[in-house]
Amino acid sequence: MANITKKVSWSSRGDDSGLAGEGTPLLNGTEIPKPSRQLSGSGSVFRIGRFSTVDLEDDITSEEDPIRGRPKEIPHNEKLLSLKYESLDYDNIENQLFLEEERRMSHMGFRCLEISRWVICGLIGILTGLIACFIDIMVEKLAGCKYQVIKENIEKFTEVGGLSISLILWAVLNCAFVLVGGIMVAYIEPIAAGSGIPQIKCYLNGVKIPRVVRLKTLLVKVLGVICSVAGGLAVGKEGPMIHSGAVVAAGVSQGRSTSLKRDFKMFEYFRRDTEKRDFVSAGAAAGVSAAFGAPVGGVLFSLEEGASFWNQMLTWRIFFASMISTFTLNFFLSIYHGKPGDLSNPGLINFGRFESDSVAYYYYELPLFMGMGAIGGLLGALFNSINYWLTIFRIRYVHRPCLQVMEALLVAAVTATVSFTMIYFSNDCQPLGPEHNEEYPLQLFCADGEYNSMATAFFNTPERSVRSLFHNQPGSYNPLTLGLFTLTYFFLACWTYGLAVSAGVFIPSLLIGAAWGRLCGILLASFTPTSPIWADPGKYALIGAAAQLGGIVRMTLSLTVIMVEATGNVTYGLPIMLVLMTAKIVGDYFQEGLYDIHIKLQSVPFLHWEAPATSHWLTAREVMSSPVTCFNRIEKVGTIVDVLSNTSTNHNGFPVVVQVLDSDEPAKLCGLILRSQLIVLLKHKVFVELARSRLSQRKLQLKDFRDAYPRFPPIQSIHVSQDERECMMDLTEFMNATPYTVPQDTSLPRVFKLFRALGLRHLVVVDDENRVIGLVTRKDLARYHLGKHGLEELQLAQT
Amino acid sequence: MLPYNLYLFFVFVAICVPSLKCGDVVHLSASESADKLEAVPSLSTAAIVSKPAVDTVFSFSLLSSFPDDLEVSDYCSDLLHIFGQRYVAYVNCLVPAARPVKVCQSCYSTYGNLVEIYNNISSDQMGPGNVTCRDSLLRSDRLMLVYQLYSNLESLWEDSNCAKCVTEHLESLTNDTLYFMATLNQTLTCFEKYQQGNHTELCKNCKSAYGTLNVLYSQMEKNSTLCIDIEDAMNMTRRLWSKNFNCSFPREENVPVIAVSSFMLFLPIIFYLSSFLHSEQKKRKLIHPRRAKSNTSLMNIQDKLS
Repeated sequence: MANITKKVSWSSRGDDSGLAGEGTPLLNGTEIPKPSRQLSGSGSVFRIGRFSTVDLEDDITSEEDPIRGRPKEIPHNEKLLSLKYESLDYDNIENQLFLEEERRMSHMGFRCLEISRWVICGLIGILTGLIACFIDIMVEKLAGCKYQVIKENIEKFTEVGGLSISLILWAVLNCAFVLVGGIMVAYIEPIAAGSGIPQIKCYLNGVKIPRVVRLKTLLVKVLGVICSVAGGLAVGKEGPMIHSGAVVAAGVSQGRSTSLKRDFKMFEYFRRDTEKRDFVSAGAAAGVSAAFGAPVGGVLFSLEEGASFWNQMLTWRIFFASMISTFTLNFFLSIYHGKPGDLSNPGLINFGRFESDSVAYYYYELPLFMGMGAIGGLLGALFNSINYWLTIFRIRYVHRPCLQVMEALLVAAVTATVSFTMIYFSNDCQPLGPEHNEEYPLQLFCADGEYNSMATAFFNTPERSVRSLFHNQPGSYNPLTLGLFTLTYFFLACWTYGLAVSAGVFIPSLLIGAAWGRLCGILLASFTPTSPIWADPGKYALIGAAAQLGGIVRMTLSLTVIMVEATGNVTYGLPIMLVLMTAKIVGDYFQEGLYDIHIKLQSVPFLHWEAPATSHWLTAREVMSSPVTCFNRIEKVGTIVDVLSNTSTNHNGFPVVVQVLDSDEPAKLCGLILRSQLIVLLKHKVFVELARSRLSQRKLQLKDFRDAYPRFPPIQSIHVSQDERECMMDLTEFMNATPYTVPQDTSLPRVFKLFRALGLRHLVVVDDENRVIGLVTRKDLARYHLGKHGLEELQLAQT
Repeated sequence: MLPYNLYLFFVFVAICVPSLKCGDVVHLSASESADKLEAVPSLSTAAIVSKPAVDTVFSFSLLSSFPDDLEVSDYCSDLLHIFGQRYVAYVNCLVPAARPVKVCQSCYSTYGNLVEIYNNISSDQMGPGNVTCRDSLLRSDRLMLVYQLYSNLESLWEDSNCAKCVTEHLESLTNDTLYFMATLNQTLTCFEKYQQGNHTELCKNCKSAYGTLNVLYSQMEKNSTLCIDIEDAMNMTRRLWSKNFNCSFPREENVPVIAVSSFMLFLPIIFYLSSFLHSEQKKRKLIHPRRAKSNTSLMNIQDKLS
């Protein structure tokens, strides 16, 4: 088998990289790679053939050829890269049109642009806050109704018998909500499933996930999350907020909606990937900030997840959007709660205040906290591993929408059943507190004036359960209750994440962690009867929650700040940081973070911070795709249409070459043109002949390209007549005349750095005479990763 | 005595430290005198302080009163006296009513008296002789004893929510409270009647009375007209009902609940099994990227390394 088709693993011996790095001449030998030009049938597609190998590997070459073209099918796994994902064009296309427009723009124009950026950020904040407010109120209303109905039913049937009917009622109500949410997600917009954080992470990384920032996605996401939380699943509404914020940002910044076919003629300058992506990072920050009441945490989240392209002004704008978002949520919630102007509801999840003396901590507790962090890391790794296998199973077998909806329904029913059984068989009765912390106290078989303690954990929306775990008096839960709760909720949450409903994983993780953290606190207090003051269960619940969340999602800086901001207590910064660090170190030893797992399973070409270690010996020549489809500077329309229509090679960027008159000389690189540009050109029929005949024809402007953005029509929808196929097209004006290029001996980490730092989409590999010999794209780089057996290569697949 | 001990201690130290070979006995006595040494500073400071104190006592007996304008007027000291009496009366009433809680029912009138006299003291109305006692009694010193005493009891009153059960001017109990007490008495009589013998009898016969009481209580809870007396009485009754007489609902539907839930738990297993067996597995088509044939191919490197 040849090295391309099989999974290749390089041995990770230390001398590999060193030898390869310095030994390039040795390995290359002295031969000069001579490209052999092959002219394809039409004659104008310029291809550069493989190197004729002077060495002894002719046998390998011949071995390799027959394998090409035979499509091989394998079951889905994590070591694939999907073809459906494309890169964003973060890099500015500096063609002549762009320069012209810049020349025409006055100083005032640039000022206005800057101001409108601020306005957009403000709008993003306001809209995100409003959406958060809407979700919060709807969930509260719907869940309130549901729990009220079930509570009355249970009370009735406790007296006269027939509690199994209450159980069925609970399950049916849950299923009804989840059915609505599931159908919306599975049939209308599958990309809205899950928390959306992996998708936003990919988007900020520079991958264009299809349909991820559309209005339809936003609607499905918002309604879906209301349904799934009200449907009693083990989910939270915080993750989806981040996605919602990102969609809002992408929509507002464009000043139009393609779905609604409305163009407000605003913000036209921002209709390109560069600007849009900056606003999306602001939107994600605003979402975090609305979800947790953590504006700084939001900014840091954006920084941590998509930080390749940052500058001070952008950070400042993003912070502005975050602040506005949390303020808006605050303001409208205060009106809703009947206390207008009281700005004390900063986020969707409110951890409550940790202020009393009992929640102070001492230096001797830090090792305990770190121990809890380690437990969190272990449990998180377990959670992720189970979820990993479950997700693979789902991708392979549960891929039809009807099956997905059925699965969601089953999870909803089982969640209700398990909760009910737990409550039914629980003997933990606690006296009703004077201030009624419990929203829906269930008495069941407890003595009058007492309530079932298990019910406060299960018979409630997850956020409220978290808060009662943090803040209820010591002694409101007995250890058995907490242990059982942790166990069941762990598996429920793990089973739920990845269903075809829009739902976040933050709150379930916090809830699991808070439960076992509180358990730790109670046990500590019972071991040390002399000094129970410091072992406040609420404090340990908080630490446990941080540990569990850190163990599952493995975020670092932003999560620390989010937790600190959500508790409103800066003194917890140190323990939370230590806990998250320990959880991440311990967890990373066993398994990746949940979001990274899902990104991998989606086969997204995700570029990490660094190229894999021990990859310096790989050069651009091995990494690049070759041969490259190139266009001449003045190209025949027919050729262009043929190349674009070729479904087997769905290329997006084409180097433009210029032929020297002497035909023996190979063509030299003079620019780069994108598929989207070519399509716009074809649509407007910018042909040399037509321009000559119709002199009055308006010159194409950058605006025409922006109007088509972001959904460029497919090539099939553009009609080119037989006569027009014979016309010629001059690409000089439209191509990016100065594309980034690298020589062929550049090492992989260097290429990687260029991609990551500049947000490139195409990188042309040239030889010393500026002849195109290959093209590096994101997928070429993303396929290398450091596996258990050294450097491994991912395979490309059609998904 | 003290200096002598101290001296003794130093002698011990002087003996012990150079020789470094003291017996246990010596150590013991040394530590004893160390204890006494610790006591010395406080004692000695006390002695220092005590000398001026003696002076003050001496001078106090001479200066039997401050000048007129600083002295508390007779009127005010009368008020203070009455305050003391009523305070004592209220506290005397409170203590026996602590368990079972009857602080609102039995002591509201004495509390009313106390409030009245305190209002007199704290009002800025001039008494006879154009004096107001507010400043002289309430806030002329750091301790503010009268104020502290009163505010303690006031906060007690607040906590007990007694105001909810007593009419506005602390004249009598509210009708709601009286009605609740009557209902409570009915229930308790019922309990007493059936207390002997089988409790199931009691549960059956007193159910209506207890039910009425419960409904009334939750209604009052909703109107927030509860004071500590009512809450405590209800708590005790509930405890009697649930714990002593064991009349709460038994858990007797285990079989149907278990049946229904195991059916529900069984569904996902069927679902996953059937989708595993019947749904066709999703396959991915591999695409072979076009790559330059590299002369530094993998095989080559490994060959060269080996």
